[in-house]
Amino acid sequence: MLLAGETLNMATPVSVLRLPKGPDPNSRGFDPKSPRFIALCRTSIPTSAASEADPEQLQQEQHARSVLRESFLRCLLSMNSKKVQFHMHEKVKLEATFGASDIDVLNFQVSDLHTPIGVQKEALIRCQDVISFTFDV
Amino acid sequence: MMQCGWPLLGPLQWIRYVNRQVMVKAGNDEEHRGWLLTVDPVSASLVLVTFREEGRASVQVVMGHAVEEVQVLQEADEETTRRLQTSFLPARTCGLDPEELRRRRAGVQRWLEKNRVPVEEEGDQLRVAGVLTLAAPYGPEDCCSSNQIILDRIQKLIQSLVQSPYYPD
Repeated sequence: MLLAGETLNMATPVSVLRLPKGPDPNSRGFDPKSPRFIALCRTSIPTSAASEADPEQLQQEQHARSVLRESFLRCLLSMNSKKVQFHMHEKVKLEATFGASDIDVLNFQVSDLHTPIGVQKEALIRCQDVISFTFDV
Repeated sequence: MMQCGWPLLGPLQWIRYVNRQVMVKAGNDEEHRGWLLTVDPVSASLVLVTFREEGRASVQVVMGHAVEEVQVLQEADEETTRRLQTSFLPARTCGLDPEELRRRRAGVQRWLEKNRVPVEEEGDQLRVAGVLTLAAPYGPEDCCSSNQIILDRIQKLIQSLVQSPYYPD
Protein backbone atom coordinates (compact mmCIF):
# COMPACT_ATOMS: atom_id res chain seq x y z
CA MET A 1 0.00 0.00 0.00
CA LEU A 2 1.39 3.40 -0.98
CA LEU A 3 1.65 6.04 1.71
CA ALA A 4 1.21 9.71 0.86
CA GLY A 5 4.35 11.07 -0.73
CA GLU A 6 5.63 7.68 -1.98
CA THR A 7 5.88 7.02 -5.68
CA LEU A 8 5.84 3.68 -7.41
CA ASN A 9 8.77 3.26 -9.75
CA MET A 10 8.00 1.05 -12.68
CA ALA A 11 9.84 0.77 -15.94
CA THR A 12 7.08 1.00 -18.50
CA PRO A 13 7.99 0.31 -22.08
CA VAL A 14 6.94 3.34 -24.08
CA SER A 15 6.47 3.36 -27.80
CA VAL A 16 8.42 6.14 -29.43
CA LEU A 17 6.39 9.28 -30.01
CA ARG A 18 5.59 10.11 -33.59
CA LEU A 19 6.53 13.76 -33.84
CA PRO A 20 4.90 15.89 -36.51
CA LYS A 21 6.61 15.46 -39.86
CA GLY A 22 9.59 17.75 -39.87
CA PRO A 23 11.42 19.34 -42.74
CA ASP A 24 12.72 17.15 -45.55
CA PRO A 25 14.78 14.44 -43.79
CA ASN A 26 17.70 15.01 -46.08
CA SER A 27 18.27 18.48 -44.77
CA ARG A 28 18.77 17.44 -41.14
CA GLY A 29 22.46 16.96 -41.59
CA PHE A 30 22.28 13.89 -43.79
CA ASP A 31 22.16 15.73 -47.13
CA PRO A 32 25.69 15.86 -48.57
CA LYS A 33 25.02 19.30 -50.04
CA SER A 34 23.78 20.93 -46.84
CA PRO A 35 26.12 23.42 -45.15
CA ARG A 36 25.93 21.40 -41.93
CA PHE A 37 27.11 18.25 -43.63
CA ILE A 38 29.93 20.02 -45.41
CA ALA A 39 31.07 21.68 -42.20
CA LEU A 40 30.90 18.61 -39.95
CA CYS A 41 31.28 15.59 -42.13
CA ARG A 42 34.43 15.45 -44.12
CA THR A 43 33.95 12.28 -46.08
CA SER A 44 37.52 11.22 -46.17
CA ILE A 45 40.93 12.19 -45.01
CA PRO A 46 43.12 13.01 -48.01
CA THR A 47 46.71 11.89 -48.51
CA SER A 48 49.26 13.99 -46.72
CA ALA A 49 51.08 16.76 -48.56
CA ALA A 50 54.44 15.09 -47.98
CA SER A 51 53.23 11.93 -49.67
CA GLU A 52 52.03 13.82 -52.70
CA ALA A 53 55.59 14.93 -53.33
CA ASP A 54 57.32 11.59 -52.72
CA PRO A 55 56.00 8.52 -54.60
CA GLU A 56 57.71 6.04 -52.31
CA GLN A 57 56.20 7.60 -49.26
CA LEU A 58 52.86 7.69 -51.02
CA GLN A 59 53.08 3.95 -51.58
CA GLN A 60 53.93 3.37 -47.93
CA GLU A 61 51.10 5.61 -46.87
CA GLN A 62 48.63 3.78 -49.07
CA HIS A 63 49.80 0.43 -47.75
CA ALA A 64 49.37 1.63 -44.17
CA ARG A 65 45.98 3.03 -45.10
CA SER A 66 44.77 -0.30 -46.50
CA VAL A 67 46.09 -2.34 -43.57
CA LEU A 68 44.38 -0.03 -41.09
CA ARG A 69 41.15 0.08 -43.04
CA GLU A 70 40.93 -3.68 -43.50
CA SER A 71 41.39 -4.17 -39.79
CA PHE A 72 38.67 -1.62 -39.09
CA LEU A 73 36.27 -3.23 -41.57
CA ARG A 74 36.78 -6.62 -39.91
CA CYS A 75 35.95 -4.99 -36.62
CA LEU A 76 32.72 -3.57 -38.08
CA LEU A 77 31.86 -6.97 -39.53
CA SER A 78 32.29 -8.62 -36.17
CA MET A 79 29.82 -6.16 -34.67
CA ASN A 80 26.98 -7.22 -36.91
CA SER A 81 23.93 -8.25 -34.85
CA LYS A 82 25.76 -7.62 -31.59
CA LYS A 83 24.55 -5.42 -28.75
CA VAL A 84 26.48 -2.18 -28.73
CA GLN A 85 26.43 0.65 -26.23
CA PHE A 86 26.85 4.13 -27.71
CA HIS A 87 28.18 7.02 -25.64
CA MET A 88 26.73 10.23 -27.02
CA HIS A 89 27.18 13.84 -26.03
CA GLU A 90 25.82 15.03 -22.67
CA LYS A 91 26.61 11.64 -21.11
CA VAL A 92 23.72 9.99 -22.93
CA LYS A 93 24.16 6.23 -23.30
CA LEU A 94 22.17 4.29 -25.87
CA GLU A 95 22.04 0.57 -26.32
CA ALA A 96 21.21 -0.99 -29.69
CA THR A 97 21.89 -3.95 -31.94
CA PHE A 98 24.44 -3.00 -34.55
CA GLY A 99 23.50 -3.39 -38.20
CA ALA A 100 25.93 -1.63 -40.50
CA SER A 101 27.99 1.44 -41.15
CA ASP A 102 28.16 3.50 -44.32
CA ILE A 103 31.44 3.72 -46.21
CA ASP A 104 32.50 7.07 -44.75
CA VAL A 105 31.59 6.09 -41.19
CA LEU A 106 29.07 8.89 -41.03
CA ASN A 107 25.98 6.89 -40.10
CA PHE A 108 25.34 3.64 -38.29
CA GLN A 109 22.27 1.55 -38.96
CA VAL A 110 20.97 -0.08 -35.79
CA SER A 111 17.92 -2.01 -34.54
CA ASP A 112 16.20 -2.00 -31.16
CA LEU A 113 17.61 1.32 -30.14
CA HIS A 114 16.89 1.97 -26.45
CA THR A 115 16.40 5.70 -26.08
CA PRO A 116 15.32 7.65 -22.99
CA ILE A 117 11.82 7.87 -24.49
CA GLY A 118 11.42 4.31 -25.67
CA VAL A 119 12.68 1.58 -27.97
CA GLN A 120 13.03 2.42 -31.66
CA LYS A 121 12.87 -0.68 -33.85
CA GLU A 122 15.16 0.66 -36.59
CA ALA A 123 17.27 3.79 -36.55
CA LEU A 124 20.16 5.63 -38.11
CA ILE A 125 22.67 7.10 -35.73
CA ARG A 126 24.79 10.02 -36.90
CA CYS A 127 28.43 9.30 -36.12
CA GLN A 128 29.05 12.99 -35.41
CA ASP A 129 26.78 12.55 -32.38
CA VAL A 130 28.72 9.56 -31.06
CA ILE A 131 31.78 9.98 -28.88
CA SER A 132 32.55 6.29 -28.45
CA PHE A 133 30.85 2.93 -28.45
CA THR A 134 31.61 -0.42 -26.93
CA PHE A 135 30.76 -4.09 -27.41
CA ASP A 136 31.99 -7.50 -26.32
CA VAL A 137 33.55 -10.23 -28.42
CA MET B 1 34.39 21.60 -29.83
CA MET B 2 38.14 21.92 -29.94
CA GLN B 3 39.61 19.34 -32.23
CA CYS B 4 43.09 18.13 -31.63
CA GLY B 5 45.39 17.12 -34.45
CA TRP B 6 44.66 13.37 -34.25
CA PRO B 7 42.56 13.14 -37.46
CA LEU B 8 45.28 15.01 -39.34
CA LEU B 9 48.18 12.74 -38.45
CA GLY B 10 47.67 10.34 -41.34
CA PRO B 11 48.12 6.58 -41.83
CA LEU B 12 51.90 6.53 -41.46
CA GLN B 13 51.63 8.05 -37.98
CA TRP B 14 48.53 6.17 -36.91
CA ILE B 15 50.00 2.80 -37.77
CA ARG B 16 52.82 3.46 -35.30
CA TYR B 17 50.29 3.41 -32.47
CA VAL B 18 48.99 -0.05 -33.40
CA ASN B 19 49.77 -2.87 -30.95
CA ARG B 20 50.41 -0.39 -28.17
CA GLN B 21 48.45 0.20 -25.04
CA VAL B 22 47.06 3.72 -25.26
CA MET B 23 45.06 6.11 -23.16
CA VAL B 24 42.55 8.16 -25.12
CA LYS B 25 40.72 11.24 -23.86
CA ALA B 26 37.53 11.93 -25.80
CA GLY B 27 34.46 14.12 -25.68
CA ASN B 28 34.67 16.30 -22.62
CA ASP B 29 35.27 13.75 -19.95
CA GLU B 30 35.72 10.27 -21.36
CA GLU B 31 38.91 8.41 -20.84
CA HIS B 32 39.58 5.01 -22.37
CA ARG B 33 42.47 2.65 -22.08
CA GLY B 34 43.18 -0.39 -24.16
CA TRP B 35 45.34 -2.10 -26.74
CA LEU B 36 45.09 -0.26 -30.02
CA LEU B 37 43.97 -2.67 -32.71
CA THR B 38 43.64 -0.17 -35.55
CA VAL B 39 42.80 3.39 -36.56
CA ASP B 40 40.23 3.81 -39.30
CA PRO B 41 41.91 5.95 -41.98
CA VAL B 42 38.54 7.31 -43.11
CA SER B 43 37.24 8.55 -39.76
CA ALA B 44 40.42 8.45 -37.62
CA SER B 45 38.50 6.34 -35.09
CA LEU B 46 40.53 4.26 -32.66
CA VAL B 47 39.67 0.64 -31.91
CA LEU B 48 40.77 -0.34 -28.39
CA VAL B 49 40.69 -3.90 -27.07
CA THR B 50 40.58 -4.92 -23.41
CA PHE B 51 41.08 -8.63 -22.78
CA ARG B 52 38.82 -10.34 -20.32
CA GLU B 53 38.93 -13.82 -18.86
CA GLU B 54 38.25 -16.98 -20.88
CA GLY B 55 39.32 -15.60 -24.24
CA ARG B 56 36.68 -12.88 -24.23
CA ALA B 57 37.38 -9.21 -24.84
CA SER B 58 35.61 -5.91 -24.80
CA VAL B 59 36.16 -3.43 -27.58
CA GLN B 60 35.82 0.33 -27.41
CA VAL B 61 35.77 2.44 -30.55
CA VAL B 62 36.49 6.12 -30.03
CA MET B 63 35.29 8.29 -32.90
CA GLY B 64 38.08 10.29 -34.55
CA HIS B 65 36.17 13.57 -34.39
CA ALA B 66 35.86 13.29 -30.58
CA VAL B 67 39.49 12.53 -29.77
CA GLU B 68 41.15 15.07 -27.49
CA GLU B 69 44.36 13.32 -26.58
CA VAL B 70 46.15 10.04 -27.25
CA GLN B 71 48.99 8.81 -25.08
CA VAL B 72 51.05 5.66 -25.51
CA LEU B 73 51.37 3.69 -22.27
CA GLN B 74 53.30 0.60 -23.30
CA GLU B 75 54.22 -1.71 -26.14
CA ALA B 76 52.54 -5.08 -26.55
CA ASP B 77 54.56 -8.24 -26.05
CA GLU B 78 54.42 -11.03 -28.62
CA GLU B 79 51.56 -12.87 -26.97
CA THR B 80 49.36 -9.78 -26.78
CA THR B 81 50.17 -8.82 -30.37
CA ARG B 82 49.22 -12.29 -31.51
CA ARG B 83 45.94 -12.14 -29.56
CA LEU B 84 45.16 -8.73 -31.02
CA GLN B 85 45.83 -9.72 -34.59
CA THR B 86 43.69 -12.83 -34.43
CA SER B 87 40.75 -11.32 -32.55
CA PHE B 88 38.79 -10.28 -35.62
CA LEU B 89 39.63 -12.83 -38.22
CA PRO B 90 36.49 -14.36 -39.70
CA ALA B 91 34.98 -16.34 -36.85
CA ARG B 92 32.98 -18.68 -39.01
CA THR B 93 35.22 -21.45 -40.20
CA CYS B 94 33.56 -23.78 -42.61
CA GLY B 95 33.16 -27.07 -40.78
CA LEU B 96 32.15 -29.11 -43.79
CA ASP B 97 34.37 -31.50 -45.73
CA PRO B 98 35.05 -30.84 -49.44
CA GLU B 99 32.67 -33.56 -50.66
CA GLU B 100 29.78 -32.20 -48.61
CA LEU B 101 30.61 -28.68 -49.81
CA ARG B 102 30.61 -29.85 -53.42
CA ARG B 103 27.21 -31.48 -52.95
CA ARG B 104 25.83 -28.39 -51.32
CA ARG B 105 27.22 -26.12 -54.02
CA ALA B 106 25.69 -28.32 -56.72
CA GLY B 107 22.36 -28.30 -54.90
CA VAL B 108 22.32 -24.52 -54.67
CA GLN B 109 23.34 -24.20 -58.31
CA ARG B 110 20.52 -26.51 -59.38
CA TRP B 111 18.04 -24.53 -57.29
CA LEU B 112 19.14 -21.22 -58.83
CA GLU B 113 18.97 -22.66 -62.34
CA LYS B 114 15.52 -24.03 -61.60
CA ASN B 115 14.53 -20.48 -60.72
CA ARG B 116 15.95 -19.26 -64.04
CA VAL B 117 18.87 -17.46 -62.43
CA PRO B 118 22.10 -17.53 -64.47
CA VAL B 119 24.82 -19.12 -62.40
CA GLU B 120 28.33 -20.36 -63.09
CA GLU B 121 30.88 -22.23 -61.05
CA GLU B 122 34.02 -20.24 -60.34
CA GLY B 123 36.45 -22.36 -58.35
CA ASP B 124 34.61 -23.22 -55.14
CA GLN B 125 32.38 -20.21 -55.49
CA LEU B 126 29.26 -19.62 -57.53
CA ARG B 127 29.01 -16.53 -59.69
CA VAL B 128 25.41 -15.44 -60.01
CA ALA B 129 24.20 -13.20 -62.83
CA GLY B 130 27.74 -11.89 -63.15
CA VAL B 131 27.25 -9.61 -60.14
CA LEU B 132 26.99 -11.79 -57.07
CA THR B 133 29.45 -14.24 -55.54
CA LEU B 134 28.38 -17.11 -53.35
CA ALA B 135 31.07 -18.70 -51.21
CA ALA B 136 31.05 -21.80 -49.00
CA PRO B 137 28.93 -22.91 -47.24
CA TYR B 138 26.51 -21.30 -49.73
CA GLY B 139 23.99 -19.97 -47.25
CA PRO B 140 22.13 -16.65 -47.51
CA GLU B 141 24.83 -15.02 -45.38
CA ASP B 142 27.53 -16.05 -47.84
CA CYS B 143 26.24 -13.91 -50.69
CA CYS B 144 28.41 -11.01 -51.74
CA SER B 145 27.37 -8.34 -54.24
CA SER B 146 27.40 -4.61 -54.81
CA ASN B 147 23.93 -4.75 -56.34
CA GLN B 148 21.47 -4.47 -53.46
CA ILE B 149 18.44 -5.60 -55.42
CA ILE B 150 20.02 -8.77 -56.73
CA LEU B 151 21.59 -9.44 -53.33
CA ASP B 152 18.20 -9.27 -51.69
CA ARG B 153 16.52 -11.49 -54.31
CA ILE B 154 19.19 -14.18 -54.25
CA GLN B 155 19.38 -14.18 -50.45
CA LYS B 156 15.64 -14.75 -50.29
CA LEU B 157 15.87 -17.52 -52.89
CA ILE B 158 18.59 -19.31 -51.01
CA GLN B 159 16.74 -18.77 -47.74
CA SER B 160 13.73 -20.55 -49.22
CA LEU B 161 15.96 -23.43 -50.27
CA VAL B 162 17.61 -23.69 -46.86
CA GLN B 163 14.24 -23.78 -45.16
CA SER B 164 12.70 -26.32 -47.51
CA PRO B 165 12.35 -29.93 -46.31
CA TYR B 166 14.43 -31.08 -49.28
CA TYR B 167 17.62 -29.30 -48.28
CA PRO B 168 20.40 -31.82 -47.61
CA ASP B 169 22.11 -31.23 -44.30
